[in-house]
Amino acid sequence: MISFIIRKFLLLIPLLLVISFLIFLGMELMPGDAVDFMIPPDALATISQAELDLLRSELGLDAPFLVRYGTWLVNLVQGDFGYSLQSGVAVSTLLANTLPATLELSLAALVLSTLFGSILGVVSALYKGRLSDNVLTVMGMIGVAIPQFLFGLIMIVVFVFKLGWFPVGGRLTVGNEAFLQRLDHLILPSVVLALSMTAGVMRYCRSSMLDSLNKEFIKTARSKGLPPWRVNLVHGLRVAMTPVAVLIGFRLPMLIGGSVVIEQVFQWPGVGQMFVSAVRSQNTPIVMMVAFFSVLIVLIASILVDIATALLDPRVKLS
Amino acid sequence: MARDALNRKMDRLLLLEEQGRLSGNPTNRTLRKIAANPLAIIGLVLFLILLLACMAAPLISTYGPNAIDLRNRLSPPSRAHLLGTDQIGRDIFSRILYGGRISIFVGLGSALGAALIGVSLGTYAGYRRGALDALVMKVSEIMMSFPQIILVSILVTIVGQSLWNLLLIFILTGWPSMYRMARSQMLSIREMEYIQALQAFGIGSFTISFKHMLVNAVGPIFVNITLSTAMFILQEAALSFLGLGVPLEQATWGNILNVAQDLNILRGAWWVWLPVGLVITLFVMAINFIGDGLRDAADPTQVG
Amino acid sequence: MQHEPILTVDDLCVNFYTNQRCNKALRNVSFSLSKGRTLCLVGESGCGKSVTANAIMQLLPSLSRIEQGTITYHAQEGAVHIERLSRNAREMRRLRGEDIAMIFQDPMTALNPVFSVGFQIDEMILNHTNLSKKKARERSVELLKQMGVPLPEQRAGEYPHQYSGGMRQRAMIAMAMACDPKILIADEPTTALDVTIQAQIFALMHALKEQKETSILLITHDMGVVCEMADDVAVMYMGNIVERGSVVQVMGCPAHPYTRALLASIPVLGKGKEQSLEPIRGTTPDPFDRPKGCQFAPRCDFATQECHKAMPDEQIIDQDGHMVRCFNYKELMNERQA
Repeated sequence: MISFIIRKFLLLIPLLLVISFLIFLGMELMPGDAVDFMIPPDALATISQAELDLLRSELGLDAPFLVRYGTWLVNLVQGDFGYSLQSGVAVSTLLANTLPATLELSLAALVLSTLFGSILGVVSALYKGRLSDNVLTVMGMIGVAIPQFLFGLIMIVVFVFKLGWFPVGGRLTVGNEAFLQRLDHLILPSVVLALSMTAGVMRYCRSSMLDSLNKEFIKTARSKGLPPWRVNLVHGLRVAMTPVAVLIGFRLPMLIGGSVVIEQVFQWPGVGQMFVSAVRSQNTPIVMMVAFFSVLIVLIASILVDIATALLDPRVKLS
Repeated sequence: MARDALNRKMDRLLLLEEQGRLSGNPTNRTLRKIAANPLAIIGLVLFLILLLACMAAPLISTYGPNAIDLRNRLSPPSRAHLLGTDQIGRDIFSRILYGGRISIFVGLGSALGAALIGVSLGTYAGYRRGALDALVMKVSEIMMSFPQIILVSILVTIVGQSLWNLLLIFILTGWPSMYRMARSQMLSIREMEYIQALQAFGIGSFTISFKHMLVNAVGPIFVNITLSTAMFILQEAALSFLGLGVPLEQATWGNILNVAQDLNILRGAWWVWLPVGLVITLFVMAINFIGDGLRDAADPTQVG
Repeated sequence: MQHEPILTVDDLCVNFYTNQRCNKALRNVSFSLSKGRTLCLVGESGCGKSVTANAIMQLLPSLSRIEQGTITYHAQEGAVHIERLSRNAREMRRLRGEDIAMIFQDPMTALNPVFSVGFQIDEMILNHTNLSKKKARERSVELLKQMGVPLPEQRAGEYPHQYSGGMRQRAMIAMAMACDPKILIADEPTTALDVTIQAQIFALMHALKEQKETSILLITHDMGVVCEMADDVAVMYMGNIVERGSVVQVMGCPAHPYTRALLASIPVLGKGKEQSLEPIRGTTPDPFDRPKGCQFAPRCDFATQECHKAMPDEQIIDQDGHMVRCFNYKELMNERQA
C-alpha cells in the first residue's frame, strides 16, 4: 500500500511539470505584463517606447522564453509565486489568506454531498418505484438542472431576506470568530455548493446500489438467513460504494469550479472570489497561480480517491 | 403493504395472460415502452416549446431585446410587459426569448462541436491504440484536471470576450470528455469478433473504425451530446453571471441574470432574475429527460 | 416411499410476472426428499429446476410468487409449512442456513468479492449461534479444513478471487454446512468447474451425506451426474415433473419418452465415433407460447391424439413409487422390453 501511494505521487511530478509549462505559457499569452501595470495611465502618454523597453529589460522581461520559464519554475519550487500586479503583495501571501476559506467551504460541501448523496441514493434504491424514490428522483433532476448560483440566490432571498435565519454573506461577523459561531455563515454557501454534487451522487449511488443488489452474492447472503438490513447495507452498499467513490473523484473539478461562482454569490473571501476579480483586472500572476493550485488540488484529491478505492475493493491490484 | 399492491398487480397480469390478451404484436410493445417513459416525452415537448418560442421571438414579442425605456425602469409584470422591465427599461420577456436563441445556440453548438472533435479522435485513436492514443489520452487527462470554469475564464481573458470566442473555447474545453467516452465505447466494441473478421479481410482501420464500429456507439454518443448541451448552457449562464461570458450588450439567459448580483434588485425586483432562472432550469431539465430517455431506450436490461 | 421424508413438495405452482407478462414457471410440482438420501432434479436449462430450489428457500425474485401448493419441511419439532412463511420473517431466516442451506453454480459470483472468505463463513455462524467472533473464526477454519482447503488459517483471511475454482466451491460448501443443516440444496454446483474438480466435489458431498446424514437436493442437467450421485431422481420438463422414482427405477427402466430421449442422447465414452447419437428433435418451446396439452408432445415419438389435449396426471407405475406423467408409458416400456 505504501509503495502504491509513493508511486502515485511520484507519477505526479512529470504531470506537474507539463502543467507548469502550460501555466507559464498562459501567463505569456495573457494580455499585459508587469510593466503595463506599473505605469499609471496618464504617464503612459509621455513615456517613450525606449524607456518601456529599458524597464522591461531591467525586470528581466525580455529574456528568451525558456530562460524566463526556468527562472519562474525555480522560484515556484522555492515558494515564490510572483506578485500581484495591482497591489504588489506576494501571491503566496494572498493564497495563504484565502485558501483556508475555500478549503473550509469545499470540504463542507464535499462531506455534505457524499453523506447525503449516498444516504438518499441508498434509500431511493431500496424503495425503488415507491413514492419516496419518485420524489427523490424528481428532486435529483431539479438539483442537476438548476444553475448553482441561481439556487444560491433563491436561498438568499428565502433564508436571509424573508426568514432572516442566516447572515447575508461573508465568512464571519467581526467578534464571532470561533468555528461554532461562524457556522451560520457556512451553512448556506456549503449547502448550495453541495447541491449539484449531491444530486449527482444520489443518482449514481441509486443505480450502483440497484446493480449491486442484483448480483449473485446477494442471493447467497439471503440464503444464509441474514436479516434484510445486513444484506442490503453490509453486502449491497459496500460493493456499491466503489463506483460512487470513483464518481466523486471524477466530479471534484466541478466542486472546485463551483466554489468560484458560489464565493461570488455569498461574498465568501476565498480563492474563487480572488480569482474572479483577478480575471477582471487581468492580474495574471494571481490568475495563473490559482489555476495551478486548483489543478494540484484536483490531482492530489484523485490520488486520495484512488487510495480509497483500493481500500474499498480488494480486487484492485495494488502493484 | 407494498406486497399487497404487488399481489394485486400480479393477479391482474395473471387474468390478462389467461385471457390471452398479452401476447401482443411488436408495435404494442414499442408503444408500451414509450408510454413507460413519460418523462422523456414531457422533456421533448418542453424542449420543443422553448426552442420554437425562442426561434419565433420576433413574432411573439413586441419589443426588441435592447429597446431601452427609461421611464419604465424596474416595473413589475403587467399587461404591457408580461414579465416586467429591467433596470434600464428593457422588456424582460423579449430578452428571455431573444437571449434563449444565443444560449441554446452556444449550448447546442458547443456540444456538437466538441462531439465532432472528441468522437472522431476517440473512434480512430481508440481503435488504433498506440502512440497517438496515448498522447491524446495524456492531453485529455491534463485538460480534464483543470476545473472548467477556471480554464474557460483564462482562455476568455486571452482571446477576448465574444460569442464566437466562447463557442470555440467551449468546444476546446469540451472535447476531452467526449473523446474519453467515445474511446471507452470503442475499446469494448473492438473486442468483438466481427471486428477481427473485418481485420482479417484486410479492411483499412479508417473504414473499420468509422463505418463499422462507430455505428454501434451512436446511442451513448447521442446521450452524451444531449447531456453536454445541458452542461454548456449552465456553464454559459454561470460565466455570464460573473460577467466573463458573452459580452453584456448581447442578451443571453446568463447575462440577464448578471444584474442579480445587485442585492437591491435581488430583493426588490424578482421578475428580473427569477423567470430567467426558471427558464434555464426547465430547459436543462427537459434536455436531461430526453437524454435519460435515450439512455433507457438503448439499454436492454430493463426488467419489470 | 419407505424412506422417511424430510422435505415434501406437493402440487407446487409458481408464476413469474416480469416484463408485464405472466409465466407459469412451475406447474403442479410434487416430490419428496428423503432423509439421508440424494434426490437429483434433472432437466434442460430453463425447465424450472432452479426456480424449485429458490421456492423452497423462499428466495424467489420479487416479481414472482407461489400460487398454490405446499412445501413442508419435516423438522424434529413438527412440520413447517414453508409456503406460508413470509420471505424475510424471522422463522424463514432461521430455517435458512440452520436447517436448509444452499450452494450455487458459480462460486466466483456467489461469494462477495470485497469480504474475506473467513468473514463470510463467520457471518453464517454468528447469525445462527451465540459463539464469539473468535470461536466462530476457529470453527470456520475447522470447516475449511474438513472440506479439504489446504492452509485453512491463512486461506480464511484471503479473498474469493485469490482462490481457485474448486477451492471456492469447497469454501461455499463449508459455508453452507457451517450450522449442520439437515438439507443441502446444490444448484448445479459443478457446472462451472473442470471435470476432475467435479469428481472431487461430488466425493466431498457424498462424504457429507454419509457422515452427517444430510439430505441433498442436487440440481443438474447432466445425466452422468445423476448416475453418479443420485439415490432418487425427478425429471423436469417445462415446469412439470414428468418422471420420478429411485435412480434404479428411472435410469434402469425409464417410463417417460423425455427421460428415454435424454438417456439416448448422451455420448458414451469408449463407444467410438460410429455410435448413433439421437438428439431430441425440435426445440424447447417459448414459455409464453406453450403447446396445448402435454408439453413434450410436439417432440415426442409416442404422441397420440389425447397427448395434445391435456397434460397427463401423475400415474404411479408400481408400488415402489415410480411415477410418470404420460398417457403412453405402457407402450414405451413394452418397446423397451422388446
